[in-house]
Amino acid sequence: MMLVALLAVPALGAVLVALLPARLDRPARALGTVVAAAAFAVSVALGLDRGPLLPAAGQALTPWQQYKVSWVPGLNLDFHLGVDGISYPLVVLTTLLTLLCCVYSMWTVPGDGARGRLLVALLLVIEVGILGTFLALDLVLFFVFFEVVLLPMYAVIAGWGGEDRRRAARKFVLYTLFGSVLLLVGVFVVVSAAGTADLVTLSATGGGGMARATQLAAFILFAVAFAVKSPLWPLHTWLPDAHTEAPTVGSVILAGVLLKMGTYGLIRVAIGVAPEGAVAVAPVLGVLAVAAILVGSLVCLAQSELKRLIAYSSVGHMGFVLLGIATLSTVGLQAALIGNIAHGIITGLLFFLAGAIKDRTHTGLLAELGGLRETAPGLAGVLGFAAIASLGLPGLAGFWGEAFAVVASLQRGGTLWTVLGVLAAVGGALTAAYFMRLLRRVTHGPAAPAVATTAAPRLSTYELVSWAPLVVLALAVGLLPALVLGLSADPVTALLAEVSP
Amino acid sequence: MISVDVLGPLLPAVPFACALVGLLLPLRARRPAAVLAVGGAAVALLIGIALALRFRQPFGTSVELVDFGGLPVTFGVRVDWAAVYVALAVGVVALAVQAYSVSYLADDDRYVPYAAQVSLFTAAMLLVVVSGDLIVLLVGWEVMGICSYLLIGHDRTLPEAPGAAVKAFLVTRVGDVGFLLGIALLGIEAGSFRIADVLGAIATGDLSGVVVTTAGLLLLAGVAGKSAQFPLHTWLPDAMAGPTPISALIHAATMVAAGIYVVTRLMPVFAGTPLTVLGVMAAITMLLGALAATAQDDIKRVLAWSTVSQLAYMAGALAVGAVAPALFHLLTHAAFKALLFLGAGSVIHAVGSNLMSRMGGLRRGMPVTFWSMTIGLGALMGLPPLAGFWSKDAILASTEGHLLYASGLATVVVTAWYATRLWLRTFFGAPRSDAAAHPHEAPPLMSVPVALLAVPSALLGFAAFLSGFGDRLVMPLPAEWVGEYSGTAAGGPAVVREAVELVHVGPALAWPLLCLAAGSLGAWLVWRRDRAADPARVLGPVRPVFANAFYLDAVQDALVIRPALGFARAVRRADESIVDGAVEGTGRGTLSLGGVLAAAHRSGLPRAATAVLAGALLIGLAAAALGGLA
Amino acid sequence: MIDHVALLPAYLAAGTAILVFLADILVGRRGAVLSCGALGALATAAVAAWLGTRADRSTFCVDGAGCSYVVDDTAALLAVLFALLTLGVLAFSAGVLREGELPSGEYCFLLACSMTGGVVLAHAGDLITLIVALETLTLPLYVLVGLRRRVLESAEGAVTFFIVSVVATAVTLLGAALLYAATGAVHFDRLAAALDAAPGGGPTGRLIAASVVLVIAGLAFKVAAVPFHAWAPAAYDGAPVPVAAYLSTASKLGGVVAILYVTVDALQPRLDVAGPALAVLALLTMTVGNLVALRQRRMVRLLAWSSVAQAGYILAPLGALTVASGRADIGLAVTATVAYTVFYVLMELAAFGAVVALRPADADGGVIADYRGAARRSPWIAGAFVLALVGLAGLPPGLAGLFAKVAIVRSLLGGGAGWLAVAVALNAVIGLAYYVRVAAQLFAPAPAAETRARVHWAAAAALAVATVVAVVIGFAPQLVLDVAAS
Repeated sequence: MMLVALLAVPALGAVLVALLPARLDRPARALGTVVAAAAFAVSVALGLDRGPLLPAAGQALTPWQQYKVSWVPGLNLDFHLGVDGISYPLVVLTTLLTLLCCVYSMWTVPGDGARGRLLVALLLVIEVGILGTFLALDLVLFFVFFEVVLLPMYAVIAGWGGEDRRRAARKFVLYTLFGSVLLLVGVFVVVSAAGTADLVTLSATGGGGMARATQLAAFILFAVAFAVKSPLWPLHTWLPDAHTEAPTVGSVILAGVLLKMGTYGLIRVAIGVAPEGAVAVAPVLGVLAVAAILVGSLVCLAQSELKRLIAYSSVGHMGFVLLGIATLSTVGLQAALIGNIAHGIITGLLFFLAGAIKDRTHTGLLAELGGLRETAPGLAGVLGFAAIASLGLPGLAGFWGEAFAVVASLQRGGTLWTVLGVLAAVGGALTAAYFMRLLRRVTHGPAAPAVATTAAPRLSTYELVSWAPLVVLALAVGLLPALVLGLSADPVTALLAEVSP
Repeated sequence: MISVDVLGPLLPAVPFACALVGLLLPLRARRPAAVLAVGGAAVALLIGIALALRFRQPFGTSVELVDFGGLPVTFGVRVDWAAVYVALAVGVVALAVQAYSVSYLADDDRYVPYAAQVSLFTAAMLLVVVSGDLIVLLVGWEVMGICSYLLIGHDRTLPEAPGAAVKAFLVTRVGDVGFLLGIALLGIEAGSFRIADVLGAIATGDLSGVVVTTAGLLLLAGVAGKSAQFPLHTWLPDAMAGPTPISALIHAATMVAAGIYVVTRLMPVFAGTPLTVLGVMAAITMLLGALAATAQDDIKRVLAWSTVSQLAYMAGALAVGAVAPALFHLLTHAAFKALLFLGAGSVIHAVGSNLMSRMGGLRRGMPVTFWSMTIGLGALMGLPPLAGFWSKDAILASTEGHLLYASGLATVVVTAWYATRLWLRTFFGAPRSDAAAHPHEAPPLMSVPVALLAVPSALLGFAAFLSGFGDRLVMPLPAEWVGEYSGTAAGGPAVVREAVELVHVGPALAWPLLCLAAGSLGAWLVWRRDRAADPARVLGPVRPVFANAFYLDAVQDALVIRPALGFARAVRRADESIVDGAVEGTGRGTLSLGGVLAAAHRSGLPRAATAVLAGALLIGLAAAALGGLA
Repeated sequence: MIDHVALLPAYLAAGTAILVFLADILVGRRGAVLSCGALGALATAAVAAWLGTRADRSTFCVDGAGCSYVVDDTAALLAVLFALLTLGVLAFSAGVLREGELPSGEYCFLLACSMTGGVVLAHAGDLITLIVALETLTLPLYVLVGLRRRVLESAEGAVTFFIVSVVATAVTLLGAALLYAATGAVHFDRLAAALDAAPGGGPTGRLIAASVVLVIAGLAFKVAAVPFHAWAPAAYDGAPVPVAAYLSTASKLGGVVAILYVTVDALQPRLDVAGPALAVLALLTMTVGNLVALRQRRMVRLLAWSSVAQAGYILAPLGALTVASGRADIGLAVTATVAYTVFYVLMELAAFGAVVALRPADADGGVIADYRGAARRSPWIAGAFVLALVGLAGLPPGLAGLFAKVAIVRSLLGGGAGWLAVAVALNAVIGLAYYVRVAAQLFAPAPAAETRARVHWAAAAALAVATVVAVVIGFAPQLVLDVAAS
């Protein structure tokens, strides 16, 4: 029941907020924030009553709670929700980031603030879509929610974005739709082969006894679909444009949780439903993942625009996550899961900061920035922290995912995986290099003209309020990774039991 | 009274807590920050002392941090005598540095974060010292790296500071790629990241020799980076851009010591090829550093290069499996190098310049500094009976009959030469600048720590005479530690037997003393001929070569940095033009195709009609074809 | 013995036409005429629905040859649809007619006649009835398209429409004639049986194959499937917007029904020919339609091309019938087609309704740029428009459209036509490109503060109803699927 509430609250809230008249814009935003807070509360409460933590025998997917009603039997579509150790951290991350974005939007909305309530409403709709994706235990339902986020996010970018927003938004929506239509095809390849769309059944039987060829086809379709979303090199080029043009909150949600739909889908759907296909394709996936790491960091090393740089850094980080998944080992998947969360927290924070810097200096070009710590020490400090966390410093959240993706790759053994692991480690060094370059350009040195004339050097309250949780989490997850991985160990093991019985 | 095994974790925890609080303090809260920083360091030192007093036998605690599916990561603490001693050294230096900084950064508006970062630095080093788990060790290891970055970049007036900071972090980080891979390899093969388990697995032969050697070599990269061994030493001299107390901290007890310390901790992993490689690196670095030190004019750079070569001594000792002398030298070096840097800081503070060419005749103005630094320099060049003499002698003795012995002696000559030069140029002769003409002794908060550090620099050497001191430095891992571990593994007891005796009084002692005399006498003679001129002039043509440390920076720049950046630019272009170009191209292609078709439809009736008929025909044919297939 | 109860819907439809005609002559007031038409359409729908709930019945039966007029659930559903679509179009027309540029009487009379054709078509049981009904459905449209006086495009569109239509009808008739020659049957059941018996190869086989292709090609014209689509854009753009709406919904529905009946009921034994033909048609239609739509500047033309593309999606499941064996797969495909058609006509109607509502009553569709800032001027209509467009694109929040696409892809993969499924998927991407372009225009800031056009209450009401229904079946698509499955 709480599962339904988790979706219903933001959905109804979005409608309510959108229907309020323009003169009640601020109250509407506040209402949206309250709704987001409520959703967050529900998601936290969701974790409190956990049913069976240990997966039942021969059961690859054991939700703590589930809710199932038939919706469209004609399309094998059940409204089947459930949450387990793999999805729960992502659910909380989603509700948290949405809440923070709503808080942020209560004070500042790009352009004329007149339509702020619409932005908040869209954020809530996106939240519904993402949560639904993480909670869906029915393939078709998963697909439906997967598509729900497309247009709202398009609207956010096209409505509140930068100069070149229309093009970027169109590119985003078409490219990602290309991914999700392939997902649709994949879904029904599976459904017509296995006769059911129920994820529990499918992953319990290791692909519902589908033929190897079918599994291969299905997995490839899924992999491409999710690779576009994640994004995996070379299907990533929508990301930099989208991020550069998107408003701050858009970037935060986009990088923080939207990308996770891809990696989560890869774990839950692609591997869960087509394990044999996964085994066959894994090496390709691994190679591409490492390519993503290296290309991402190298491009960042030569990047000249702040938000673009962070966007490309996402490509690199998601590369680590995908490498972890590609190893198809417990270590790898665990690394991928915590990498997901860490990236959500840290890159979310980074985009908040990038937005704050651009708002203050009205430029994102590294060449025009510099000496931020002279004029805005607080901002520079947080930026430094975020950058350090993002380059995977041990003791902060970013470390576990990256280091253990490497470990998993080495553990997999064999020439290929060893080489991949080594290259990934080198990529880690490159990551450090470009973040150092970023900090040197932005914070150190004498204050550049754009920075010297900075309005509001101090951090305002709403910035502190919306950033502090992320800072704390980056540290907490870094010191106590069990916060994220404590719940996922058993589900992951159970899932992989189907991959290599 | 807290039990001992709580003290272990507490050692890094206290400064860490102080750092966290300190980082949250507002910039103007100088006093609280100072109290916090000095207090934190003091408490850490007290904990170290308490540990030393109540220490009975090595102990460890270990709690599981997280389980990566059959690969548990534990937060493990392991305390043995070596750990206690190093922890003490760290505590002393940290306290000295913190106290010193209060007045050295008296008019720096970013003292608050600075102090907190120093605390964090201390915490990280202490974590490395007590960690009983490879991952936790890596945490401390890397956090130190980032702290060095932050602190070296602290000084906003120096344009080169940010660059130096980045360099320090990146060069070590490059080495750490190997370090991480090595740790990963050991952890995977041993099925656990606990040092005890890893060593145990090696002892019982669960780990194949190949694996161990590979892991050793990989770890060595990290060690070379942190302990500034050739070819990854280039960051250390530039790190002088940091405030002088930071140089003291980095050079004496924390950053660079970590590399050496980790090798002693994981000795069995390095047995064999890795140690040979380490030996070669040490032999090169020793002389390279010493020679580079001869031609520097910046007093801090002289000391920096001396650190490089002194670390090479320790590395050399390790290369021949002599753990105890290495650790011994680490401790003495910590004392006198901290003293030297803090003293140099006082000098710079008085003269207002790093350059020795602007100093001279300072001994009258600042007697405390003068005498302390005299002791420090004496210890550095190994003047009996100062601390450095005993530890360096222990190392030389252990390397006898080895290539390292030769380079070690040669280095003694050079060290004596540049130490004397520094001494004379700074404190004797006529002042070479107005500031130097009327020097003022540093304020007590600065001079007192310097003076206090002179005590261990002078006396620590006699610890070698304490019974069992040597054994303690190489305490073999007791059975309860690693289950099956029998202590027969390479590097284990063999080390112990060699290291029990740290003092070698005998004819062999003559050689280093002769070298020492030769070196400093040479410097003195050259200096006496013209007291105003730099003795380095006798180097003649090679002087610039030494001054630029054999142009290795340029090589690094040409071989690594430029290619990397160029490659990055190329990749960016490719990603934008080819990968993204393909996407955009598809879009444009579709559009233009639509345009073509649209144009084709702007046609009159007759064509439309024919189209219909043609279409019917077409469909028929297609259907026939497909139907045939179906 | 003729079963007049079964014929009631047809009677009512025809009666509506006559009633409207008389009302125009006797009363001559626009309101009266319109309300007559509306009431007639409503009554037709009601009776058709009522019949649908009763047991199946049929009339004009030749013993042993099956019947020419069949009343079953599908027929009822389609009849109701035809009637309601006519009703909706009448509502949209209220605004235009008020301007008095168009003759209300003729207008409504022709619409009613066309509706009659549709209703009969829904019940058709043999080829002759089918083709005649289809012509009855189309014939009035030639005039309606050309009804706008002093507008060149209008006349031109009408002529194109007329010529191409005639050619296509000729093609269909030829095919039917050949079929009769080969099998001596016109009733669907008999035809099916005869085809079953007929040899696959040999002269007869080839003759049959050719005739099957000809029939389908001819019918493809009504759904404006490529390459029989050339008339559509011109006709849509030339016609008054409500008529365009009728063309893209009712007329298209007629074509789909015809193709469904012919292929599924009559030509089932020769699906090996019909299937591939339809598959090729579908592929061409969706691709060309989408590609050309990308480059349209005029709103109605864009909608016209998009409806061409949609026809491709509609035909796709039937294309998968090639390999279909047994009723199950055929059922799947038919269900998908019918369901998609229902979803489609609904959203198309809503889209055109929005166009009508957003434009001045006497104006045509105009260029897309004219719609800038519509979201500010009249948010509700713009919202409905966006919902319709998004539905046509097949994305949430247009859930109806999403499920329609899902149904198509599902049936295709179920029928083993994966390649066609991928084609549909990729076309959906191209489609979104222009739908989203239009939607974005609505929210773009208006160049000048335009005054919002007055919307006739009837049009608004119709639009509202269509939108609400679209939303409802978006959340409960099973309703449609159930009806379609029967």
